Amino acid sequence: MIVRRHRSAALLAAVALTLTLSCKFEPFTPELHYSLNGPVVEKNPDLQGDPGAQAQLAGVLEMLVGTPKDPRFLALKDWDFDPNYWGEDLVKKDENALAALIASNRAAYREQIASIEAGDFENVFQPRFADDLWRWWLALKAEKAGDAAALKEEGVKLFSEYYPSLSNSAAFYRNQCFHCHGTEGGGNGSTSRFLNPRPRDYRPGKFKFTALKGKSRPRHEDVYRVLTEGVYTTAMPSFRRFTDAQLHGLVDYVRLLAIRGETEILLASFYTSDEGLSLESVQENYGDVVAKWRGASKQVIAAEDIPAVTPERLAHGRTLFMTPGEKGGANCVSCHGTSGRGDGASAFEVDPLTKETRRVKDEWGNEISVRDLTRGVFRFGRRPIDLYRRIYAGINGTPMPEHIGMTVTEDGKQHPMTESDIWDLAFFVRTLSVHEATVAAAPSHH
Amino acid sequence: MSSLKHFLLRAVITLLFLAVPILGVWTFVKAEEWGLWFPPTYSTYGPSIDFLFDVIMWMVAVTFVGTELLLVWFFFRYSKKDATRATYTHGNHTLEMVWTAIPALLLIFVAFSQMKAWSTVKINFPEDGPYTVAKPLMEIYASQFDWRVRYPDAQGNFEGADVIEVPYDITVPADTKVVLRLKSRDVLHSFFVPVFRLKQDAVPGMEIPVWFEATRPGDYDLICAELCGWGHYKMAGKIHVLPKDEFASWLAKQRENLYAKD
Ligand code: HEC
Ligand code: HEC
Ligand SMILES: [Cu+2]
Repeated sequence: MIVRRHRSAALLAAVALTLTLSCKFEPFTPELHYSLNGPVVEKNPDLQGDPGAQAQLAGVLEMLVGTPKDPRFLALKDWDFDPNYWGEDLVKKDENALAALIASNRAAYREQIASIEAGDFENVFQPRFADDLWRWWLALKAEKAGDAAALKEEGVKLFSEYYPSLSNSAAFYRNQCFHCHGTEGGGNGSTSRFLNPRPRDYRPGKFKFTALKGKSRPRHEDVYRVLTEGVYTTAMPSFRRFTDAQLHGLVDYVRLLAIRGETEILLASFYTSDEGLSLESVQENYGDVVAKWRGASKQVIAAEDIPAVTPERLAHGRTLFMTPGEKGGANCVSCHGTSGRGDGASAFEVDPLTKETRRVKDEWGNEISVRDLTRGVFRFGRRPIDLYRRIYAGINGTPMPEHIGMTVTEDGKQHPMTESDIWDLAFFVRTLSVHEATVAAAPSHH
Repeated sequence: MSSLKHFLLRAVITLLFLAVPILGVWTFVKAEEWGLWFPPTYSTYGPSIDFLFDVIMWMVAVTFVGTELLLVWFFFRYSKKDATRATYTHGNHTLEMVWTAIPALLLIFVAFSQMKAWSTVKINFPEDGPYTVAKPLMEIYASQFDWRVRYPDAQGNFEGADVIEVPYDITVPADTKVVLRLKSRDVLHSFFVPVFRLKQDAVPGMEIPVWFEATRPGDYDLICAELCGWGHYKMAGKIHVLPKDEFASWLAKQRENLYAKD
């Protein structure tokens, strides 16, 4: 009897112990190393079957950009800038951006700054998502231990001008973006399978939403805008709930992942078993990739003036839009359809394998819908300048082509499309979402 | 078991039962101090909602404490070792009448006392101000997982090309009856602004009018109060209440920015 009672007590204790132990909360930490880009490695037979070669490639990449825990650009000798402070340098040079950064830090760290200003240093508590700031503050506090005035001044400056380090932004990225965009930025996080469009794979360096010509890499501002505005009606949300500093830091980290990814693609394609990866080729390719990102701001599509919308311009835009390419028009109709609903013939194609008609694919290999322009939903801004830039340069990585300079035939004469023609198209596109009735009633040249 | 042991056991368990009403009331007494209470209210009808909340809370508090004490007393009284056997009864007609009539009266009281607040918030939309149900200040689109506000073009047209569209940040004038039109792009969401004491579901396919008059400029939280998918927890927004004249210049600035060159 007594034994039995003890036994049940022991059992109870064991259950209680297991419960408490299993309740100890272990936050999930993703693996902290970058994996190689599988499909790219597979394309090069010299790399594919050779684990040693793959380790070499991974090692080289780690030398160039570090690890997820400690991301760090290798600065080449002939560079006159340090890529580790890329965004910080840009922001601190730009008066408006800096003022906004400080205002947003002051709001976010209001309580810490108030405590510092009151000289109440022990009451400064650790801010969320800013381990580096906390470390810097503790170091500063230790350094200025005897000097309250200096600690006050520099402490307030530290908090209000805070700009996150790359490793802090990497941790923040793992917290907010990784489940969609993946550790390497391959667009292959665990949530990605369920989304259409898929989250961006940064590695090829192709970004859709920029204010730039051609296939340029985005500017800091472009990626920043994606983070504040989101890409409406896709899974990519707006991240306005975070501070300016945090968002700038994320832009820096996205850039690092993209540079790593593109360098990887280049190096993987040049790798041969005979020569391995030579130092020169590594330097050259890495340097080229970084140079593309540095040069982005030279590619801005500037608008001297936004012309006034006139019925003539709208009518001209309509004609360009509605006339197919073989009749010398701008051919929008072939994809966007006569009603602008994105149901033109070229929006679909026959799958070579299944022989079924399906939507066209983008350059990442995912099926993509041509935008329905009647719904008033534009994924990256609805201002005239936004649409102008979209139509001017096309949308990188998708079938939506570049239109500036495209040859059209009007009044029997061939000419390349000008800025003015693009404006007409942009104005016309804006009317498509106003009301179908208005569109149908819009005057036509025919 | 000795009778002393039995008495102690009864006493301990009774005290444990007693801890429930005591801790329950204690949390309410301390709620404000611990930061668990409502934030202050900054809308014209906020106080009337708070009043209703208080009325109902006091009614429930009295009932809760009363029934708990009865329960504790019954537990102690009828757990004696030599307890008399239970007997069957056919109930007490008067007692049953009383405990049916009192809650019924209370419910009727609640039903009547909330009518004014309900009609103010949900039925009688402003008709005299600059914004009305037919001509709202803005449309708010809920979608997984963000809030987008759309301000009409200068002609009040929501389908115009010059609509202003902003995620997350919702700017409104203070001391003005603001009417908005709530829509959802996908599933059920709920527009919840705690400091305005305002909550309204967004239903796909419906355009639901919502109104409030903010009494104090400032930045306030907007949250989604209807579980809408995996990202529900992060479906937040900010309501920026600006003084009237500042709001007018803010809006003018947005219209100008629409034609910005960058
Ligand atoms: C719920 C999934 C999801 C999350 C979380 C997410 N994204 Fe995205 N992101 C997407 C999708 C989907 C796209 C592609 C949109 C498109 O192609 O139109 C995208 C696109 C992007 C782009 C490319 C825009 C362009 O110009 O091509 C960037 C940059 C980006 N995301 C950064 C981030 C960052 C930084 C975070 C974390 C703060 C993040 N994303 C979090 C889903 C997500
Ligand atoms: C070959 C097919 C094709 C042609 C031709 C084409 N488009 Fe597109 N367009 C697309 C696709 C695909 C998208 C969606 C891209 C994406 O996923 O972001 C798109 C998107 C757009 C957008 C939406 C931008 C946004 O911010 O959401 C506009 C505006 C647009 N096209 C205008 C035009 C105009 C004007 C023309 C003719 C001058 C044109 N398109 C010709 C395929 C095409
Ligand atoms: Cu929601």
